Amino acid sequence: MIYGPGTVERDESAFQLKLMASSQSNLHSEPAKIEQIITEFFAKSLHIIIESRSLCASSRNYSGEQTLSSPSSSLSSSSGVRPRDKWFNLALRDCPEALENVDLWRQSNLEPMVVDVILIERQTGWDVNRCSPKRDLVRNLSLKERFPNCWNSGQEDYLPEIKSEKIIERWVVQYESRRSRDSSSSVSKRTGGTSSHSLYKKSLILLRSLYLTVRLLPAYKIFRELNSSGQIRSFSLAHRVCSFVEPFTRGEEAEMQKFVFMPVDISCGRLSLSVLYHPTLSTVGFEPSAPLSPQFIPDYVGSPTTDPLKRFPSPLIGLTPHGSPAFGRRHSWSYDLSKASAPSGSPSPSPSYSEPHAFPSNLSSNRLPPLSVPRHPPETPISHKNASFDEYWPSPTISSSPSPSPPTHYPGSNLPKVLLRSESAPVSIPAAKLGRSPGVPNSQIPPPSPSPKSTRTGSSQADNARAPLRFGEVQGGSTVQKTSFLGKDEAGNLSGTKMSSTSSPQISFSRSSSRLSFQDDFDDSDFCPFAVDDDDIVDPHSRAESFDGRGNLNEPFESGGLLPGKKSQDAAVGVLVHMLKTAPPLRHDFSNSIRSSQVSKPETQCKSNVQEPDKTSNSEAGAVQNALSYGNLTSSGLLMLKTTADALEELRSYKEMKKLLLSQGNGSQAVASDVPAAETVGRGSAGV
Amino acid sequence: MNCEVCHLKELDVEHFEIREVLRCILHTIVFHRALGLIRPKDIDSELFDITYVQCGDAEVEKKIEEKIDQFIGWVEKHPNKKSQICLSFYEVKNKQATWFSNKIERLYWEQWYINLNVAQHPKAHSSKSHHSKMVVDPGESTLERGVRRATLEAALREVLLFQIIKFVNEKRDHIPPVPNHEGVSFPYEIALPSSSDSSFGMDMFKRMLQTGHPTMLS
Repeated sequence: MIYGPGTVERDESAFQLKLMASSQSNLHSEPAKIEQIITEFFAKSLHIIIESRSLCASSRNYSGEQTLSSPSSSLSSSSGVRPRDKWFNLALRDCPEALENVDLWRQSNLEPMVVDVILIERQTGWDVNRCSPKRDLVRNLSLKERFPNCWNSGQEDYLPEIKSEKIIERWVVQYESRRSRDSSSSVSKRTGGTSSHSLYKKSLILLRSLYLTVRLLPAYKIFRELNSSGQIRSFSLAHRVCSFVEPFTRGEEAEMQKFVFMPVDISCGRLSLSVLYHPTLSTVGFEPSAPLSPQFIPDYVGSPTTDPLKRFPSPLIGLTPHGSPAFGRRHSWSYDLSKASAPSGSPSPSPSYSEPHAFPSNLSSNRLPPLSVPRHPPETPISHKNASFDEYWPSPTISSSPSPSPPTHYPGSNLPKVLLRSESAPVSIPAAKLGRSPGVPNSQIPPPSPSPKSTRTGSSQADNARAPLRFGEVQGGSTVQKTSFLGKDEAGNLSGTKMSSTSSPQISFSRSSSRLSFQDDFDDSDFCPFAVDDDDIVDPHSRAESFDGRGNLNEPFESGGLLPGKKSQDAAVGVLVHMLKTAPPLRHDFSNSIRSSQVSKPETQCKSNVQEPDKTSNSEAGAVQNALSYGNLTSSGLLMLKTTADALEELRSYKEMKKLLLSQGNGSQAVASDVPAAETVGRGSAGV
Repeated sequence: MNCEVCHLKELDVEHFEIREVLRCILHTIVFHRALGLIRPKDIDSELFDITYVQCGDAEVEKKIEEKIDQFIGWVEKHPNKKSQICLSFYEVKNKQATWFSNKIERLYWEQWYINLNVAQHPKAHSSKSHHSKMVVDPGESTLERGVRRATLEAALREVLLFQIIKFVNEKRDHIPPVPNHEGVSFPYEIALPSSSDSSFGMDMFKRMLQTGHPTMLS
């Protein structure tokens, strides 16, 4: 039908029959044959490409037309096979769009054929009528294409709704004739008589490769996605066929990869086929729900929060959780990164892992496990390498030095910003804080089931769009951790167990922070076996954990202590001292502001210094005080850097956070249920 | 006649992935050698985010499935071994005078070696890392599995797209004339690692005829 003149088809089939009969009789017609093969090659290529990229065509396929012709039913029956299918022995689905374009192209006389596949992003809400407009678009294009050689008509005029369009693939089918050599070489080959046959066979193979390649490229995912769920989407695919290339900018081209098929050499020229494509959909700006999901899933599973739960369902829980969560997170992040950048490359979680090990070695893994849990939230952000996060955090060295007590201040001041500005992982920290803070009712704690969500966080970071989701997810993760916390703190037993297990940490705590670092070192030697495990990472946690057990301090510590690790603690101290010495008067204002903020928001950890004493269980009040004093100093140093405006900002952010948390924490029941679970966890760890 | 040989990049697979990986590869190769009239069939892999193409021939599909079953059986008997599957295309020639009777000989003109490294345990990889020391690491393994899966998928895609497609288009001169124009035009066989199993590898053609060669694989 689409073939205007039926004669064309007859001719084709007749020609093919001749070819297959391998009759070399008509040497005269060789050039004609070749030309016809080339023409058909172009047509077939176009058909293959458009068939797998044109949404309308495919939908039509499955419905009406094909049933009539019922080509699928029987290849064997000659009736089912159309002449068009016989070309290159490749039976394709009907694709009206493709055939239209083919017809148009036939008139263009072996000019190069450039097929651009365009991803169109429409305004939301336009989708409802998607089908009709789309077809219109296609028709429109084809109409414009009728004008010779200048088919790439602008679509802008036609579609005011179009938000943006991007070329995601450019296929170039080209026949380059070597006219210069025609006289000499071609003659000899022609005499051979094989040229049309070999051309046919090679082009036949090439078309099969094209058929497969079209389905292996990322754009096919978009096609499938839009085809299945397309009605709802604000994206669509279009294509245009031109005879010349509208060159890409360098930037555009840099994003794309080129795949060149081995050209088919013929006596009189060569037939070449190549494609420029976007290797990843992300660069295109297309975020298909389904296609991307597979990538996210692994993260999801491995997400830090998830891992701890899965790993430690059994009695072992207590020990593993500490190390594992931190561990898991780091891994997940590293994975994410690797995945995002290069899925093909083998992710090497181990390297990231190795680094953490160095730090942790100090701590005794044994003591730490139960306590470590709380720390995780702060760690996550660090591991994430979230740019925003990093910015807000003080330099790692600084934080490291104060690791035990002083760090508390840091987190307080810094955290709020982190939360506010970066919606991603860091957010989780606040949630954890809430759980600890006595003032915060359990109800505020987000419902459980954090584990699955948390996994996503890692992946989500990549996409800004998902930030809100992350937030929720993160909280979920934090809640789990919190629950464990609460259980520990609330249950006197737990704290006691912790104490016994983590005797050294406590001591360190009571003493000055500097001493802590020393003790840690000692501990390391003692606990080496454990440390060897996996969990050097755990060690940092363990420190934090010990603190946690006592009171609210742990989180702040974690934030400060994690990264710094044991590296250059002295240096860090030096920095701190320097900062303190040079601290401007500003600090007073700051401290005031901070305190006020703290008062207003019990949730935030920063305040912990003030509130901590109350919260902290009993044994360590003295130690806490020491820590506090230390913390104050450090805090002042930090504060110096900030302005009152910043403080206000933080305050606001806190308020917002609080609102958010409150709104989310409606499920008080869930919280209640969580608490017991947490306790069990804590006990389990203790038992271990 | 020269026989072109293509060794495909070795893929690290787990046991449960063997089937899908082999489907993708075998069908892709056969698709490119089915020079008769075919109506391609798009198949979305059950395991990977990959769409590959079958040539729409039920016989081929059946045969490939059988071979895969046999291969999986072999892997179970020979765990922890690297294994190779060979897909060969050949021509059948009559040898006349020199033999007592008419004997039929296979002339191989193309062979594809598919190399798989089958991990015995899903966690085989974890041994490299510290995770293995974790007391309980189901979560870990799932995480690793996800990553590993993505890696395998990328590698598989590369094999399909770059290795097979490139080879198929670069080596075109050795392909014999198309004997028939329906579907899968050339006789082929799929040989499995163990010689004892190779008898299964005969294709229908071969079963009817006597063969001059034992299967190529040892």
